[in-house]
Amino acid sequence: MDKKILIALRGDEVAPRFDLATEALMVTLTDQGEIMDRKSLLLAHASGDDLCDLALARDASGVVCGAVEEEYYHYLRWKRVDVLDSVAGPVEDVLRALAGGTLRAGDVLFPREG
Amino acid sequence: MKTRMAALFASDRPDLPALLDGLPVGVAVLDEECRVRFLNKTLESLTGFAREDVRGLPCRHVLRSRACVQGCPWARPEGEGGSLETDLINRHRRRIAVRLTPVLLRDADGRELARLDVIEDLTPIKEMEERLSQAAGPGQMVGRSQAMEKLLRLVPVIAQSDSPVLITGETGTGKDLLAEAVHRASPRSREPFVRFSCGPMPEELLEADLFGRRGSGGEGRPGRFQQAHNGTLYLSEIADLPVQQQARLVRCLDERAILPVGADKPVRVNVRLIASTNADPEALIRSGRLREDLFHRLAAFRLHLPPLRQRGEDVSFLLQHFLGVYAARFKKTIAGFSPKALRLLSAYAFPGNVRELKNIVEFAAMVCSGETILPAHLPAHLPGAHDAPEAAPRAARKTGRKAKG
Repeated sequence: MDKKILIALRGDEVAPRFDLATEALMVTLTDQGEIMDRKSLLLAHASGDDLCDLALARDASGVVCGAVEEEYYHYLRWKRVDVLDSVAGPVEDVLRALAGGTLRAGDVLFPREG
Repeated sequence: MKTRMAALFASDRPDLPALLDGLPVGVAVLDEECRVRFLNKTLESLTGFAREDVRGLPCRHVLRSRACVQGCPWARPEGEGGSLETDLINRHRRRIAVRLTPVLLRDADGRELARLDVIEDLTPIKEMEERLSQAAGPGQMVGRSQAMEKLLRLVPVIAQSDSPVLITGETGTGKDLLAEAVHRASPRSREPFVRFSCGPMPEELLEADLFGRRGSGGEGRPGRFQQAHNGTLYLSEIADLPVQQQARLVRCLDERAILPVGADKPVRVNVRLIASTNADPEALIRSGRLREDLFHRLAAFRLHLPPLRQRGEDVSFLLQHFLGVYAARFKKTIAGFSPKALRLLSAYAFPGNVRELKNIVEFAAMVCSGETILPAHLPAHLPGAHDAPEAAPRAARKTGRKAKG
């Protein structure tokens, strides 16, 4: 079954903070891990509440983000939304890992320098 | 720079990592691209990240502070340094209030060696402030009278809107507390609540303080509007604002943007405005002290705090409430007021309203060394307080001083 994932964004990388993200990417993945659809969403202002509402309103089954406060994390989990938090990296790399089924909470996909 | 910086951590140099690890504040050492090179032990424990796991990562993904996202301190023009209060979310998903101080480390030739982010955990201070504020009562509107209950029921409703609020009421009735209560109940409660008193000050200074200042080189000092961005700006004694500034405020409310002093472009601000006055706004308009157009914009919601003399049973309720607060603060066991002290207080008009009542109770609780507040423990200005004291305060007897009156 297709699944929808919301990625909290800041520019072209995962937003360091869920509650301060003003952009999001909604992707639909097929069972085979293909990205069927991707939609960029702009929020009027940064708000953890609004981002949770957005994920639920769009029937997302997962959320990918950087730092997320416990309150939002447990709320989303309570609503049966998987949360992959503490993810850091460029969005395209994150999407590749997501499609490949290898993305885990805490993953750092930035190239390490030095 | 990386080579020079690496030398700081070389084995033939003073043991810098050990020195940083010994500090009671968190320190992140960053390179010129703000990538993390080192975290000291305090910061490891604060953020929940091990230094070896985050080496080379952009610091915003390690510190994860509000300041990293909403205005990186390293992106500020030089000379605008200094500490800033912010918060971070650590790996355990806990939000922590911190003070962040960016420090630029230079070598003897003035070349940049490293950037240090010094992070202080403000949790103990915030908890202390919270305890003190709970003990002292500010931030809490209390009242059992019908008038107050009606008003307090409105707060959560009004808080959901973004429209301006005008609070009126005599001095000491709690206008500041009501403004804060509206902010705390609003969706902006996690954003700043900035107070600004429009009391007399040079007009130019006031304008810069309120709207900010932009220097010739583009650097600037944010005004109260910018400080309150996304939050609430509370302007007390709005009628003291010069009429010219009132006109600017009208424009600002209409355009949702401000023009800092010296700037040529307006800056957009998202601020909810709450204003207050202790005078009758209609009379202020008639006397020309308050612009009518500003009044109509501010009074989208109008809240009036009744004076204490119209709050009936609130006087005895507040007396007991503040007695509990101050007895706890002064570590005393004071059960209540003597019948005569209560009669005197109930007959008093309290021109200074709740603030005056609170001060009287604080004084009485401080002076009283027994279990009951007697008339002799009340301030001398209270009519009849010291005419026929029921008993002299024990503290006064001990020191050999005579009770007044």
